[in-house]
Amino acid sequence: MTDSIKLTIYRRDPDLDTAPKYQTYEIQPEPGQTVLMALYHILENVDKSLAFRASCRSAVCGSCGMHINGKNRLACETQLAPLGNEICIEPLPHLPVLKDLVVDMSSFWRKYEKVRPYLITLKEPPASGKERLQSIPDRKKIDDFIDCILCACCHSACTLDAWSDGYLGPAVLAKAYRFVADTRDEGGAERLKLVGSEEGVLRCHTIFNCTEECPKRIPITFGIQEMKKKVVWGKLTGKM
Amino acid sequence: MRLITRERYIGRGLGMWAFWLHRLTGLAIALYLLMHIVVISSVVGGAKNFDAAMTFLKAPLFILLEMGLIAAILIHGLNGLRIVLFDLGYGVKKQKEIFIGAMIIAVVPLVIAFAIALPHIIG
Repeated sequence: MTDSIKLTIYRRDPDLDTAPKYQTYEIQPEPGQTVLMALYHILENVDKSLAFRASCRSAVCGSCGMHINGKNRLACETQLAPLGNEICIEPLPHLPVLKDLVVDMSSFWRKYEKVRPYLITLKEPPASGKERLQSIPDRKKIDDFIDCILCACCHSACTLDAWSDGYLGPAVLAKAYRFVADTRDEGGAERLKLVGSEEGVLRCHTIFNCTEECPKRIPITFGIQEMKKKVVWGKLTGKM
Repeated sequence: MRLITRERYIGRGLGMWAFWLHRLTGLAIALYLLMHIVVISSVVGGAKNFDAAMTFLKAPLFILLEMGLIAAILIHGLNGLRIVLFDLGYGVKKQKEIFIGAMIIAVVPLVIAFAIALPHIIG
């Protein structure tokens, strides 16, 4: 039998309006068990008041972003075994906590909407009535960035985001880059105007916390720097 | 309903270290410039006054502090070049390697400076 492990979980009940506390649960881990499975185990068998967000259990939906042992990760794809016998689970940093591990993402979504996160086209759709085609090398350019699942792991790891309420943040800028780099998209100039401000790409201090924490290993800072380059050249040549 | 924001994220990546080193060395260099102005302005009180200030600054403690200054300038300057590279769009995906490289380059002049200063520190 394997040793039991201690899960220390950040707890806060908004109805009681008391200070947050840490509660420790002891569980018997099973082989291959993930942090999310352990949370479900606690919810079903130990403490029915525990709140957390989760949905797909396969690192696709981006709901279960949490701060686990000092790192932002997806609970569903993080296994217990490599984390040791004592595991600390906290909500994503510097986002307002609604209850326990559930954070208020509304500011994140408000910023997300600002960059118009959808394909903007001016040309008529192809006469065939099918999809807009793209060459393989062109598609390769956005390979990394289409993987974003909007879990906010990068967003809540960003130092500049913590310091400045208005900063769009890495996830939002990565989404903007996903369309700026897409050859089918024609809203590039407009989008660069949106992100080419003090609260956009120019606020990035290249600390790379976002790139470190991204569960999908997207080179977020690379995308931000590419847009920074485009914005600066656009302003220098008077095109923006 | 009152919302509580949890404590800030504490970055442990190399980029975070580079960022804090850059900030702290920048502040140290700014502080040095202030002290430098104070020391140089002692010349207003005449040549003797200035000589006295210079003799005072030959104490081993100040030579050690000067080594710190050289280290701060090397770290700040070389990491500054690293940041400029990123802003020009180069090496963003190799940021860790570039930081380690910059710090290795910083060590060479620092060791030379120490070798020169050591007799003055020991006396």
